[in-house]
Amino acid sequence: MQRLLSLLCCLALLALGAVPGQAQQQSGPLRIEITEGVIEPLPFALPSFVAETAGAQDLADQISRVVAADLVGTGLFREIPQTAFISSLTSFASPVQFADWRAINAQALIAGAVALGSGGRLTVKFRLYDVFAGQEMGDGLQFDGTQEGWRRMAHKVADVVYSRITGEGPYFDSRVVFVAETGTKGERKKRLAIMDYDGFGASYLTDSATIVLAPRFSPTGDRVLYTSYETGFPRIYLLDVANVGRRELPIPAGEMAFSPRFSPDARTVVFSLTQGGNTDIWRMDLNGANPQRLTNAPSIETAPSFSPDGSQIVFESDRSGTQQLYIMPATGGEARRISFGQGRYGSPVWSPRGDLIAFTKQSKGRFHIGVMRLDGSEERLLTASFLDESPSWAPNGRVIMFTRETQGAGGMASLYSVDISGRNLKRVRTETGASDPAWSPLLP
Amino acid sequence: MNTGHVISGAGHIGLIGWLFFGANFAPTPEPFQVNEVAMISGAEFEAMLAGTTPPEAVTDMVLPVPPETPPPPQPAPAVSPPPAAVPAPAPSPVPSPEQPPVPPAAQPMPPSDVQDAPPQIAPPPQEQAVLAPDISDRPSPRPAPRVAPEPVATPEPDTKVDDIVQEAATPAPSPDPAQQKQEATAPEAATTEIVTEAAEKPSAAPVSSVRPRARPNRPEATETTEAVAQPQPQAEAPAPDTTRDAVQDALQQAMADAAATADAAQPAYSGPPISAGERDALRVAVQKCWNVGSLSTDALRTTVVVSVSMTEDGKPVVPSIRMRSFSGGSQASAQQAFDSARRAIIRCGTRGYDLPAEKYALWQEIEMTFNPEKMRIK
Repeated sequence: MQRLLSLLCCLALLALGAVPGQAQQQSGPLRIEITEGVIEPLPFALPSFVAETAGAQDLADQISRVVAADLVGTGLFREIPQTAFISSLTSFASPVQFADWRAINAQALIAGAVALGSGGRLTVKFRLYDVFAGQEMGDGLQFDGTQEGWRRMAHKVADVVYSRITGEGPYFDSRVVFVAETGTKGERKKRLAIMDYDGFGASYLTDSATIVLAPRFSPTGDRVLYTSYETGFPRIYLLDVANVGRRELPIPAGEMAFSPRFSPDARTVVFSLTQGGNTDIWRMDLNGANPQRLTNAPSIETAPSFSPDGSQIVFESDRSGTQQLYIMPATGGEARRISFGQGRYGSPVWSPRGDLIAFTKQSKGRFHIGVMRLDGSEERLLTASFLDESPSWAPNGRVIMFTRETQGAGGMASLYSVDISGRNLKRVRTETGASDPAWSPLLP
Repeated sequence: MNTGHVISGAGHIGLIGWLFFGANFAPTPEPFQVNEVAMISGAEFEAMLAGTTPPEAVTDMVLPVPPETPPPPQPAPAVSPPPAAVPAPAPSPVPSPEQPPVPPAAQPMPPSDVQDAPPQIAPPPQEQAVLAPDISDRPSPRPAPRVAPEPVATPEPDTKVDDIVQEAATPAPSPDPAQQKQEATAPEAATTEIVTEAAEKPSAAPVSSVRPRARPNRPEATETTEAVAQPQPQAEAPAPDTTRDAVQDALQQAMADAAATADAAQPAYSGPPISAGERDALRVAVQKCWNVGSLSTDALRTTVVVSVSMTEDGKPVVPSIRMRSFSGGSQASAQQAFDSARRAIIRCGTRGYDLPAEKYALWQEIEMTFNPEKMRIK
């Protein structure tokens, strides 16, 4: 009743005097608030880069295609086909006719040029334009390198464009180490392999004589820790990517050592060690000095991963009776549980940004890749399939690569990537079966 | 007070009295229904047991058999065409790698071997049916690459993307030669929220739910606070309330009506305000072009206030677009957010915003606050 009365009062007031009041109040600019927008790929135009020297046209075309593929592959951009272009860029220095690009709704324009110098030196330069604002976004950039490194230069260009438009950190100029799998499920051969983030330029790091598992890049990207059954039992090895040299880490005595990961300063390594049937998390210097047991429980503790600042470690444990995620200080100590949802949580990985933890979740017969905050809140499942596991973060913390294995005797593992929004789930190109991806930091 | 005591006392006395003397006033019990019990002799009892035991023995012995014995006659004809034997119990494909050897062996095998197959085959089809979408390594298709406040169905393949929906038309052969050919146009397909693979059903059917829309005609707080605060001093609970919504609706309607009346009464401009509807039309026009899909997660936490000068035909003056302030993010993320806002203002203003020309003085300068809170990755 009271409410009805107040409503009537309001209506009466409005009818009598509110309108003049409003007119008087609107003395400044008209103010509106936009709270809803659209989420769609941003259309961009990328005319083939101009070849400034003879013989550079093929490279210019290839570099343009790689740049476009990088951007489109994020799911955040859409390339406008060249057949729709109204005007063309014949010279890197020629002025841009923005009206022509606006007419085809290009919101960003990438203009570039390629020159092939003496001694096979390659120069790639580009400019990025905001078409509707009619101005350049940042300054033009130029990269110099060898002709063989043209793909990396293309990735560099795409990285800059991506960062300038989105504000995210770059990640195209990075590599992925993974386990290449061949053969049938019963007789599967596994080898360590490395490739560009987009699946190109793959090469093997080990032979297929022994089973290898779970490679992990060092923070500098030049070394890889992995687990191998070379001695018949799982042991941890350190591999130099440049010369493929490797050595076994001097782990304290135990039946099994596995699941290694570098600390952010690359000086220490954490891993799981099984002694007397009990598995705990250990930490030691890379040269084997100062081994320290971080957990001491009768349950299984494994899959440790450092926070970016090196102060904490997230790991999985079944100490509560079911597999869950915990965070403890990097020097050991009391752990706090962060996962409380239904199902089993495993293989946690701390985001390079430090704000999220990616994990594998098994629930109701299906596997998921998901992310959650450091306190376990805002859990978001990004994928669902017969078997999804082994998440690994892109250097910018925006994309996750993981293993997806199909069902049945003919099932094969392959690599997939997904944006942390859950969009843009796609398969990563590999020539063989692939599992256990580990994303490198951005290359220098 | 006394009346209450009297009533209470009378009630209690009545209750106590009924407890003590109620049995005396109980109705006469209904007559019993007596069933006759026949007595039987020991010999008759033995005979009866002898008559009942065999059926039990039969059920014990036969029960397991009948479910298994009837199937053999059924599979038996199915065995003769070996390929048909397996599909009969399990219509879904891929029985299992172990099954294929059975059908060829089924011909010489006695039917008993076939009997074991049906119960084993029966469960797998259920699992396979559930997991079938996962076998495909092709990711389930997303409902639509565009997420917008309002869902839009996928247009016909040849339809040109445009804000206006119109049918295709070809000029009539003779009557009106001036009529031009018209392309079919429709807005681009859109869904209302990001649907992750995990959120989809196992059948991989696209699923979407409507994003709760902000109330379109909510009046500006600065303009309505005074009018609302006095007659309604009690603070309303922040929780959604249908009554409150009704009040808001009524207020908006009243404001719109009042503004319309004012417009009608004052044909020449003398300070009529921008109506809520006009304000909303502008807001909707801008938000259609505000694409936050390519913004970083930090930029999606940044609110920017952008000012823009307008020409009399409703077009934004591009060089005048400036960021007045920002909150919730770094300078870099604010720049990304501003770039996105500027693109939105320019893109959707190329044809001129639909604003009342007679009120140009009121919208010559516009200040837009772009708040991406609802568009964040959640």
